[in-house]
Amino acid sequence: MRYLSKPLKEIHDAILRNEVTPLDLVKEGLSYVGKDNNNAFEYICNKEAIDAVNKLDSSKKNSLLYGVPIVIKDCFSTKSIPTTASSNMLSDYIPCFDAEVVTRLKNAGAIIIGKTTMDELAMGGSGTSGRKGMTYNPWDKRRKHIIGGSSCGSAAAVSSGLTPIGIGSDTGDSVRKPASYSGLVGFKPTWGRISRYGMFQFASSLDHVAYFTRNVFDSAYLLNVLAGHDNKDFSSGYEDVIDYTKDLSKSIKGKRIAVIKEVLDCCSPKTIECFNKTLDQLRVEGAIVDIVSIDEKILKAIYPTYFIISSSEATSNNANLDGLKFGSRCEGNSFEEVMINTRTKCFSPLIKRRFIIGSLSLSKTHREELFVRAQKCRRLIVDSFNKVFEKYDFIYCPASPTTAPLFKGYNPRFNGDVNVADNYLAFANFGGNPSITIPIGFENNMPFGGNFTAKPHFDSELLNVASILEKHTGLMNLVKENE
Amino acid sequence: MNKVDKKTLKLAANRLMFDMSEEEYDRLVSEFDLIIEQMNLISDIEGVDDVSPMSFPFEQTFTYLREDEVKDVLSTEEVIRNAKDVKGSQIKLPRVIK
Repeated sequence: MRYLSKPLKEIHDAILRNEVTPLDLVKEGLSYVGKDNNNAFEYICNKEAIDAVNKLDSSKKNSLLYGVPIVIKDCFSTKSIPTTASSNMLSDYIPCFDAEVVTRLKNAGAIIIGKTTMDELAMGGSGTSGRKGMTYNPWDKRRKHIIGGSSCGSAAAVSSGLTPIGIGSDTGDSVRKPASYSGLVGFKPTWGRISRYGMFQFASSLDHVAYFTRNVFDSAYLLNVLAGHDNKDFSSGYEDVIDYTKDLSKSIKGKRIAVIKEVLDCCSPKTIECFNKTLDQLRVEGAIVDIVSIDEKILKAIYPTYFIISSSEATSNNANLDGLKFGSRCEGNSFEEVMINTRTKCFSPLIKRRFIIGSLSLSKTHREELFVRAQKCRRLIVDSFNKVFEKYDFIYCPASPTTAPLFKGYNPRFNGDVNVADNYLAFANFGGNPSITIPIGFENNMPFGGNFTAKPHFDSELLNVASILEKHTGLMNLVKENE
Repeated sequence: MNKVDKKTLKLAANRLMFDMSEEEYDRLVSEFDLIIEQMNLISDIEGVDDVSPMSFPFEQTFTYLREDEVKDVLSTEEVIRNAKDVKGSQIKLPRVIK
């Protein structure tokens, strides 16, 4: 009997009925993780998970996470468990503390069974640039299609049924896009809702904790566990933590939903066909759906703006990876030589290029024309979307223009040919909006998703509309197990 | 904005304490051309220089100053555990004064 491919409630009920024990679940998880053929794992917590389950506090039995094996993207610090951010720079780094997210998950009774692969230092959207190479999409047994990144390993683990929950991070669309490509729910709550303490920073003004589940209820429940102020994170919000599961079935009658015409125009016919069906389903529920326009110049500016801001912030945030105090170290005759040799050998070319772009964008010569102009453009972009939110409760569009692209021909470099539908999701990182991807259809047996975004702090309303649509599509708890 | 040449990129890499292959520098030159092209398009957007730069999604209101209390202290052992070369309680580096 497989349990970990089921929703949280069903797993929990099985525990309460004494049909299965947390130890059984962990053994099931580790057994399947050991057979993973998607390259989803940086580290498998064989010993740590068994130790944790043996020490599990039974007073936490009411938590739906009690005894449930989960996986964590390898950019979250885990005490005494290797944490590499899929970079050779940190190949044997072992943190001495837990990220706040990890602490809260452990306190809720969850058991970490693995640290998952990612694009190196979370920079990239293909799931191909980590030190262990490509992560595969479980839906494509021919291994030709990407799963997307940067949270590739967590997406692969959840969609292949190894665990019901995979923690990731989302700086541009790093959870919401892979969720689209792998038939999952990918949720990024409002900026500041979940503490980022202990999560390796990529671009601080855009980074969000985000995660994958296989249904909206599990996402809402997880927010109950993870949300809340944390003094250790300066960007942590003070809003009250509510029960995010209680309004999932509330009527959406009269809710106003905007679809961005320019995003839809860039999608494949099959994507549009399935998407239009979901619009009809939303209308059946009483929602008012309108097609609206945003200036194409603004939409096309999203990716270059994201690229300049994220590269600039990443250059600064990763300056601590010097090869001296922790992580990898290469030989040299002086400390400068040690730094140069280590950083030259251990960073991939993609990371080095992004650091140079970021550094030049911050330089005195180019700062105004690159970094500051990108920051100004960010405001224009956020203002444009906020104008839509003045009249509408949600923006809803396809989460990706097509199903997962092929590895072959995928270009991780800055590409002048900007497809609006492929890059627009970062607007929610610019504005800190809650944003959720849910599966809406298939093309050639590969899934794709739709994405709802709401005003900041409207996480509960967002989960509500996603849950209503999920019931209509019936596309929940999708699993593509390893063969 | 003017084209960024290979010499500028090499100097930037040097300041960032790493090096790349000649091929990578060449690729970066062409990547930068595209970036400049895109940023020039952005500079043409009406009103882009009339707004203030946006540094964070929105302001968080802080109502407290953290007390200056010593807590969550790491031991020296923990701090240096990840260093490759350690002598006593210090991280060892190549000799500075020859």
